Amino acid sequence: MLSNIIGNLWKQFTSDLKEFLYNIQEFFLFSLRAFFTFPKMKRYWRDVLDQMAICGTDSIPIVLVSSISIGALLAIEVGNLLEDFGAKTMLGRSTSISVLRELGPLLMGLMLSARFGSRNGAELGAMKISEQIDALRAFGTDPIAKLVMPRLVAALIMFFPLTALSDYAGLHSAAYLAEHYHKLDPGIFWNSVYPRLVPKDFVVGFLKAPVFAIIITLVSSFNGFSARGGTAGVGRSTIKGIVVSSGLVLVANFYVSKIVLENM
Amino acid sequence: MIELKNVCLSFGDKQILKNISLKVQDNTIKAILGPSGVGKSTILKLMLGLIKPDCGKVLVDGTDITSMKETELYEIRRKMGMVFQGNALFDSLTISQNLGFFLRENLNLPESEVAQRVGEQIRFAGLEGYEDKLPESLSGGMRKRVAIGRAMIFKPRMILFDEPTAGLDPVSSKKILSLISDLRHNNNLGAVIVTHIIDDVFHTADCVSVLYQGEIIFDDVTEKLHDSQHPFIRSILSDKILEL
Repeated sequence: MLSNIIGNLWKQFTSDLKEFLYNIQEFFLFSLRAFFTFPKMKRYWRDVLDQMAICGTDSIPIVLVSSISIGALLAIEVGNLLEDFGAKTMLGRSTSISVLRELGPLLMGLMLSARFGSRNGAELGAMKISEQIDALRAFGTDPIAKLVMPRLVAALIMFFPLTALSDYAGLHSAAYLAEHYHKLDPGIFWNSVYPRLVPKDFVVGFLKAPVFAIIITLVSSFNGFSARGGTAGVGRSTIKGIVVSSGLVLVANFYVSKIVLENM
Repeated sequence: MIELKNVCLSFGDKQILKNISLKVQDNTIKAILGPSGVGKSTILKLMLGLIKPDCGKVLVDGTDITSMKETELYEIRRKMGMVFQGNALFDSLTISQNLGFFLRENLNLPESEVAQRVGEQIRFAGLEGYEDKLPESLSGGMRKRVAIGRAMIFKPRMILFDEPTAGLDPVSSKKILSLISDLRHNNNLGAVIVTHIIDDVFHTADCVSVLYQGEIIFDDVTEKLHDSQHPFIRSILSDKILEL
């Protein structure tokens, strides 16, 4: 009896492990194929522009909301803390580092994972379930070149201005709160920001943009392409795409910061 | 000509096709008849190289496509048109955009020729006035006709139909079957029709293969189906529709 249970559990474990490793292998092959289709960019430039509008301009509101909120929150909390030590004049420096290096890009990544990633997963999953992706292949069109490459190129291009926007909005909301909540003179705030900013502060933040773009686009598209099992399957693959890409964004955020800060 | 030689295929632990062989000659309509979930649509996907068999060969005009790369398969696939069971129309494109999509995508034809070919298919499918509608605004039968038009627009030599009348009302089914019969008479095309409705077979097919439990149990001209003594074939001849 017990040996049967253990046997079944072991069988289940090995089966799950095999499926996990198979999915990893498929994901890397899928990613390689997406990069190898870059030379077809000229042919699909309209699709690239469409995707730039979707992941770029259409994402501005959510990026603004998240960056303004985090900038404001940081200004209040860090300002309260610094006030206890009589170091309120350092508020600009503290918030700018947090916004530029860490929280600005991270929150933007998570928001885009939810917005752009879920759209990719659901759209491509629905296309897979309704055999539209098979139809592309059946009529001689490479679905990765047509559907994934434009998304990847668009994300790689648009995540940079979105990061810049996120940084700008986050810093200005922090400055606004510093002035009106902590009654800190704007000149003091900005003086503690600009002279102390160094190139690596920007490198850390902006290097995360392409890393997040690759993670979010490829993970969500792969899960869309792997959807099966009807509309419920589309839901499952979309959720899986968001969960995995959000997790990977958090991990990548840590490693990019660590690698850049240790080497610059 | 399309030929499957000793093809076997499994999905996980389940063996779908067991060492099956069949031929589809040019300019003939061949039906593949069998109950749902037996692997009929899988045979069409094998013919297009969308999936690869575990063993055996799939020959298109004598060329084995099982070992071909995806990019090499694109040329082979353009010899065939495929009408998917759910039509697989691009729901964000209009009817004329759907029809012209692969011409614009894969052949560098001038826009005037694309428009001409799209117009021909619109007329063939009897969809004048619907050119700018989205697929969602059409009936099931109309969508099927658009899917047939899209498959034909490349001027292929063979069209593969996956359950062409599934989910359609009797009038629409009859229209679709007439359209399929017209394809051969007017365009000299061959076709493979996968179906579980035996009336579709008698209405359109020159020859038929019956797939049962992963094996071909009958492969001959349609008229001879009545002579078969196989219990499964006897049962489908009496029931007409395979409700399995």
